[in-house]
Amino acid sequence: MTAIQAEGLTKRYGETLALDALDLSIEPGEVYGYLGPNGAGKTTTIRLLLGIHRPTRGRAELFGIDAWADPVEAHRRVAYVSGEPFLWPAMTGAETMEFLARLHGGTDKAYRDELVQRFELDTKKKVRALSKGNRQKVQLVAALATRADLLVLDEPTSGLDPLMEMAFRECIREAKERGQAVFLSSHILSEVEALCDRVGILREGRLVDQGTLAELRHLSTQTVDVTFSDGVPQLRPLPGVQVSPAGPNALRFEVSGSVGPVINALAGHPVTALISREPSLEEIFMHHYDGHAGH
Amino acid sequence: MPATKAVAPPQPRVHRGARAGSGPAGALIGRAFRDARTLTVVFTYLFAVYSFVQPVGYRRVYTTPVSREDFARSFGTNPGLRLLYGEPHNVATISGYTAWRVGGVLAIAAAIFGVLAAVRALRGEEEAGRTELVLAGIVSRRTAYLSAMAAIGGATLILWAAEFAGFAVGGLPVGGSAYLALATASVIPVFAGIGAVASQIAPSRRIAAEVSGGAAGLFFLLRVIADTVGGAGWLRWATPLGWAEEMRPFAGARPVVLLLPALASALLLGIAARLGATRDIGSGLLPERTGASPRLWLLSSPTAQALRSQRDGLIAWAGGFAVFSFILGVVASSVSSSGIPASADRQIAKLGVGSVLTPSGYLAFVFFFYVLGISMFVCAQVGAARREEAGQQLETLLALPVGRTGWLAGRLLLAACAAAVIALLSGLLTWAGAIAGGTSVPVGQMLEAGANCLPAALLFLGIAALAYAAVPRASAAISYGILVLTFLWQVVGALLGAPAWLAGLTPFAHIGLVPTEPFRAAAAVVMIGIGLAAAGAALAVFRRRDLIGA
Repeated sequence: MTAIQAEGLTKRYGETLALDALDLSIEPGEVYGYLGPNGAGKTTTIRLLLGIHRPTRGRAELFGIDAWADPVEAHRRVAYVSGEPFLWPAMTGAETMEFLARLHGGTDKAYRDELVQRFELDTKKKVRALSKGNRQKVQLVAALATRADLLVLDEPTSGLDPLMEMAFRECIREAKERGQAVFLSSHILSEVEALCDRVGILREGRLVDQGTLAELRHLSTQTVDVTFSDGVPQLRPLPGVQVSPAGPNALRFEVSGSVGPVINALAGHPVTALISREPSLEEIFMHHYDGHAGH
Repeated sequence: MPATKAVAPPQPRVHRGARAGSGPAGALIGRAFRDARTLTVVFTYLFAVYSFVQPVGYRRVYTTPVSREDFARSFGTNPGLRLLYGEPHNVATISGYTAWRVGGVLAIAAAIFGVLAAVRALRGEEEAGRTELVLAGIVSRRTAYLSAMAAIGGATLILWAAEFAGFAVGGLPVGGSAYLALATASVIPVFAGIGAVASQIAPSRRIAAEVSGGAAGLFFLLRVIADTVGGAGWLRWATPLGWAEEMRPFAGARPVVLLLPALASALLLGIAARLGATRDIGSGLLPERTGASPRLWLLSSPTAQALRSQRDGLIAWAGGFAVFSFILGVVASSVSSSGIPASADRQIAKLGVGSVLTPSGYLAFVFFFYVLGISMFVCAQVGAARREEAGQQLETLLALPVGRTGWLAGRLLLAACAAAVIALLSGLLTWAGAIAGGTSVPVGQMLEAGANCLPAALLFLGIAALAYAAVPRASAAISYGILVLTFLWQVVGALLGAPAWLAGLTPFAHIGLVPTEPFRAAAAVVMIGIGLAAAGAALAVFRRRDLIGA
């Protein structure tokens, strides 16, 4: 059964259109990366998915249960980590995790103990005495330990150090192997690139691109750097290809689609080196934002 | 050390609510109850002590039936005391006296408790981002709401028991004590309901607290008018504080009146649940203004910015004092000394508030309460500074070229200036009200009475600042606690027959009751001196300590 199913999900706050007709479908065992800059609508999406805010239009279902109409049933198989570790300052880490476990309706205590070890968490300290990263770990451990079928994570690694970031990635991979679905909202591109099967890119409340990394790359431009032995030759213009100088004897070709026409055009010229590079997620991401800054 | 790879067990062993009572609702109620425990303990203490002291004090002061009759006659018509305590019944008896002296005051305290507890448990948790976390579990909004309300219900039960125990130990009949305590406690759910509805509608916690606090003030005002203005007694039915009076503990009890608070609270709590079922968590039904064109005034210094950000609160305090002053001024004309024997007046003086048999005596009595009110205001101002530290805005400020000493001194100066404005405004409006009501008092005298509130306010400002500097997390409890304790000591110390030196420990004993008594310059100088010394110590301590978060 589909873990997350959103159809035409829309949210308007007064004049602001925070989310515009989002369609989303996430299957068990899938890690979905939800990318977007600050204010793009990522947290709004999560609030709608959890039924904490009411959709202006459209609907969101978790395992086939409407999140707004019946949030309690919808949440039975869901664990959530909020972007800001808002917790109860007077409770210790252990108390907080126990409290959250009861609110969730149960947890795997053995796994929780193991996660506490892996995240090197001091559960005896009061939350108010913990750093932001450590409070985030409390939330993460509490959520992961429930073994919920769906993990909804809102920028879960903000404040974590690189070692803990690695521990987190490991946990997510294990969750995926067990068949858990993961909705990972993030703006850390390397994290999404390392973990996610599919990626959605949100801009100003609209999903502007969605697909596997390979699909996104395919639609995006490839970069081909070519070095010549003596001077840069004159080439006729090619459709879908942008050419720019890349040094005294080199040219950079930014190619949408196939690189075949570029290879044909280069035939007969004295090429000494040719480097072709797939676009990084960062480049794909920037591609969607470049030129839209004024919006 | 990096995390060691450990493959999770293949079979999930998820424990699902095995123990009875370990479900979400039980956990939530326990959590909410514990989060509010400081508030509950403070009010429990107030309820128990106040209800115990009154019957005991009455027995000490009014030893003979004659003195009790005199007392009863003199107070039947006195608006000064009716204002605070309500309409008296059977005050020649110990139970009737206690019901009168305790019922009215604790009903006001109960209203404040109800509003504070509800706004904190509902909107406060939401604004702290925790409600979202709770609702992401298998907890419905209804469960979360009912759990918060159940925790307030538990606290109400404790307050009822504290008041009941105070009366019973103080020697009142058990049945009547339980009923009198019930009359007070019945106020809590109504005002919790008002706080709950405001929490759904208002765009922020602060506005929810201000709106429901304003409603409590309005209902108090209605009760004051009902109890002090001739022919306005029917207004008691329009205010929950009046219902508690109309239950008539120890004066021909009318338990059927209990239906009013029961129905009103059920209605309010139901409305709040209904409103809360469909709104976006974290924002009220009324939209908050999320944007505005920049207004660049009052940004030149942290103190100016504090004035700017607290503008609404300052206006609310000043406006509240102004309205009350005017109305209490109007009421002054109905004070009459006819039929009150001198012996009774001497007895009243023992209550520690001077003579209240003349209009100017009554006004002096009123200003005595303004001292308490304005001192609360300065404590609230220091509390606002503490919130800025707890919310880490102060950290941001101090990372800039802003000095700690300057920051705190600026805040204290702002509080002192605002207190002066409020005090003089109260004097002016009392004068205007008195003139409007037909009582002739010189404006200079009323301004002096207003200014007379300031030395004590500065003293409490210094104490609050020192508490804030030394023990930031407990500072609100300490500063309000000292203020309320010294005030209660003034009101009950004499009743308990404390020796003069012990009774004189409270600053309230050293305030000249302007306009009936002369301004006591020496005492004022001492109070201001202690206040300044405490403020200086606060600056020194604050300079040396770490910033401490929430």
